Amino acid sequence: MNTASNRDGLIHTIPELLAHALAMETEAAERYGELAQQMETHHRDDVATIFRRLEKAETKHLAEITEMCSKVELPHYAPWDFKWTGAESPEAIDIGRVHYQLSVREAILLAYEHERSAAEFYAGIADTATAADVKKLARQFADEEQEHIGWLEDWLAKCGPGDAVAVDDPDPPLGQE
Amino acid sequence: MEAVARKFKPKDFKSELKPIWCPGCGDYTVLNALTRALAELELPPEEVAVVSGIGCSSRIPAYTSVYGFHGVHGRALPVATGLKLARPELTVLVTGGDGDGFSIGGNHFLHACRRNVDITYIVMDNQVYGMTKGQASPTTAPDWEGSKLTPEGTGINPFQPLVVGLASGANFIARVSSSDPVNMAQIIVEAIRHPGFSLVQVLSPCVTFRPEQAEWRDIVRTAVVDFTGDAARAARRLMTDDGFNVGKVLYKGERPPFRPEHEPTDGSIAELEARFAL
Amino acid sequence: MTLQSVSLVIAGSGGAGVVTAGSLLLEAAANAGWYALMSRSSGPQIRGGEAAAMLRFATEPIMSHDDSYHLLMAIDWENITRFAAEIPLAADSLIVGDPAHGNAPAGLLSAKPRETGLPMSEIAGKIENGRPNMVALGAIAAMIGLPKEAMQTVVEKNLKRKGQGAIDASMEAFHAGVAAAADLPSIPKLPTASASAEERWSITGNEATGLGVIRGGVRFVAAYPITPATEILEWLAPSLAKVGGVLVQAEDELASINQIIGASYGGVPSMTATSGPGLSLMIESLGLAVAAEVPLVVVDVMRVGPSTGIATKSEQSDLNIAVYGLHGDAPHIVVAANSVSDCLFTTQWAVHLAEAMQTPALVLTDQALGQSRAVIPRPAELAFIGQRETAKTAVEGERYKRYAVTASGVSPMAIPGTPGLTHTADGLEHNEFGTPSSQSSDHQAQMEKRLRKITQFNYGDHWAEITDSDNGPGDIAIITWGSSTGPAREALQRFSDSGGRARLISVRLIAPVQPEKMAAALEGISRAMVVEQSHSGQFYRMLRAFYDLPKETLAMHQAGPLGFGPARILEQLNSWSA
Repeated sequence: MNTASNRDGLIHTIPELLAHALAMETEAAERYGELAQQMETHHRDDVATIFRRLEKAETKHLAEITEMCSKVELPHYAPWDFKWTGAESPEAIDIGRVHYQLSVREAILLAYEHERSAAEFYAGIADTATAADVKKLARQFADEEQEHIGWLEDWLAKCGPGDAVAVDDPDPPLGQE
Repeated sequence: MEAVARKFKPKDFKSELKPIWCPGCGDYTVLNALTRALAELELPPEEVAVVSGIGCSSRIPAYTSVYGFHGVHGRALPVATGLKLARPELTVLVTGGDGDGFSIGGNHFLHACRRNVDITYIVMDNQVYGMTKGQASPTTAPDWEGSKLTPEGTGINPFQPLVVGLASGANFIARVSSSDPVNMAQIIVEAIRHPGFSLVQVLSPCVTFRPEQAEWRDIVRTAVVDFTGDAARAARRLMTDDGFNVGKVLYKGERPPFRPEHEPTDGSIAELEARFAL
Repeated sequence: MTLQSVSLVIAGSGGAGVVTAGSLLLEAAANAGWYALMSRSSGPQIRGGEAAAMLRFATEPIMSHDDSYHLLMAIDWENITRFAAEIPLAADSLIVGDPAHGNAPAGLLSAKPRETGLPMSEIAGKIENGRPNMVALGAIAAMIGLPKEAMQTVVEKNLKRKGQGAIDASMEAFHAGVAAAADLPSIPKLPTASASAEERWSITGNEATGLGVIRGGVRFVAAYPITPATEILEWLAPSLAKVGGVLVQAEDELASINQIIGASYGGVPSMTATSGPGLSLMIESLGLAVAAEVPLVVVDVMRVGPSTGIATKSEQSDLNIAVYGLHGDAPHIVVAANSVSDCLFTTQWAVHLAEAMQTPALVLTDQALGQSRAVIPRPAELAFIGQRETAKTAVEGERYKRYAVTASGVSPMAIPGTPGLTHTADGLEHNEFGTPSSQSSDHQAQMEKRLRKITQFNYGDHWAEITDSDNGPGDIAIITWGSSTGPAREALQRFSDSGGRARLISVRLIAPVQPEKMAAALEGISRAMVVEQSHSGQFYRMLRAFYDLPKETLAMHQAGPLGFGPARILEQLNSWSA
């Protein structure tokens, strides 16, 4: 059975932190990839491009964390035993908040919100952890998330007026099976 | 917490095939929860089968890397029943929607609950027929006027799947929301582990035909009371609930699953033939 | 040689025990070394309705009922005229009735048969617990020459549970019947059977069907009860358990067919049995089995249709739905049994065909075959075992193609549990991987492979049973199928005995059609008659559509439960050879 050792809901050790980081970056990379694919399937290449770029960034981040984890024996967490503050890992965009008519600006804002949640999650650990090495690594992760937040702020700044408009589809939905 | 990593990652249970669902569809979350659950259960993909009928949610099997069967409308439960009874060692899941399960497949739903074969049935309930452009389903509210087929609403009370499931003999009943994928994974794990017929209703919004269902994420609440094994109590609870209590198992029964004997009793074909000989 | 036989009917209403009497008589005759055929007809009541047991006995194997009955033993006259058309009588027939129930109804007398009385109830009344049906049996046994000892054995065996008192009462009534028969007019007697080295079986068509299923390798059955197919299931339920198989009673036919699709997808050869109404419900899912390439066997024991029709009586009228009922172009196999014993052969063959070609095989039998009991020579051992071509190991770097387009059209099937070969079987049109596809090229390729696998298959000589008269085929053919084969075979024998020449072609493989084989079988034939039991001539029309028939071809079709007896077919043969 999976019984969490840290019943106080906090993360105390480097393996625990790495397990969370690994799960979070995995899910973020996968989720951006999924959303990019959804948007490609629906011929929304503008939004898909944004998600693909983020997928690439998260995949790189994931590779770094995977490398860090290779020397550490990680605890196993069942999906529901992670210490996330929300329903899912904070960096993975909530699938239910996406729509195929999403504007470019809305897409960037969604990503921005989740990248900030990720940074806050790490920052929260840095604030509450007792072990110095855990504090230090969590702070480092939080800073790394700041880089993505910075990009998204740049992209937001570059958004033109057209990017804020939801895409129109004059055709009705199709019948299938 | 176990210090051993799982043999499989959720991603190992996804196929290369790209879903055709609308972005924002609750079914994406069910796929994610399902793959997380299977990874957590450490079931080798080849020992799992997902069976479905017809509908948006019934497309799930092909999006997984396990054995899949995508049959005709409304008949997923009998296909799964046959498969499980013929191959008891497989883990058999059924995925589908409210129209597939409660309208065209309604009779099979009753008897699958009653028969209590050890399978898990995940119904993605969006109260609408998505594949045919948005008609009322058995779970649609009577005053929903969004369909050209029933412009004045259906005027018919919605089907109560969990009440009917309980009355028909389902051994495990839960309701989850697609806005909580981690909880959904946990409930699916429990449903698969629980012997007999497990029924999991997923509130899974249809972004295209029922955009107002986006509000469900704010309406749903985690059920206050834990599961009961007392069917009478569960019935009272299910009959009085408004359909938005989610996140917990509502009923767990102890009825032994239907599992016919496969071991030859005492015979050979020659012995069967001998009974015809004069 | 023309068959030496005696035919009789035992009729009566509820409580008369005619079906039991008929069964005892058949069993005794079988013990005495005779061959036998017993069919039954009944009214619509669950209990207590009028019923008739039609029996024919001979010292040689029997393929058909005769054109008329030598004896009608009526325990009472209740509603007997409902059967009048099904129990043809001739001028030399003898009606034996119980005077206590009055005279025979006029409806039975059109051929002016002989009539006499046997006070069965009065005789039985003098014996404690004596029953009129046992008196009737005694009289019949004496009249047809059945040794009394044969009945003693059967009564002892069948009434053992009821105790010695019941056995004694029955045998006393039986012997009283034997004694009373001395005063009755005579009907043909059969000679005592010579001890034969040949092993004989007593079996019904429905039991033979069940045995064929098990012999073929089926180990999963799901079904919903329906007359006249239920006995297949009743036989299979305990029998499957003995060999490690499972029978599930489903909630309806939609569930039956889909359960067996699931079980067969799981790698276990599977079947269901039903009748016309059930087949109608299964049709959509049969198309699924075609598209998803899931082997299965569906037996349809045909009864009078359409709709609920006449559930207890036979008709060959589900041919159209079996062949053409599926929507879309859905190549599948339809085979038909031509006798009680052929129910075994054809069903076992069907399992083999379905498994080899990964497609549904429909087996058509009917009430006349399914619910008839026959004493037959032991059926031959058959080599047909269902064998499915499976994919067992993944090829490194290659994604498994469940629906690979192959030369034979058959794609090796990965069974759940096989690592590395997971896939989704789909009723949606798909590409080779099984991925849904709406592209015309995928549709075309998959359609062609699904057709190819059943058209290129080598069905050998089993596609039809071809019988020639003793001195060659001549230039006349009888083309028939299913239960119409029996009377046709007897007609051919009689025709042959009188020096006539003709060929009988009984088609066992209804679909896919075999035009080349039929052309070879019709070589030198200038006239043909097509004999079947359907109102619209479904078989004739199918032959017309797919085969080159002789210019002079006569369609002989008639709604069930009546059919063409040997005499009517012989009459046509004679008129052509005159």
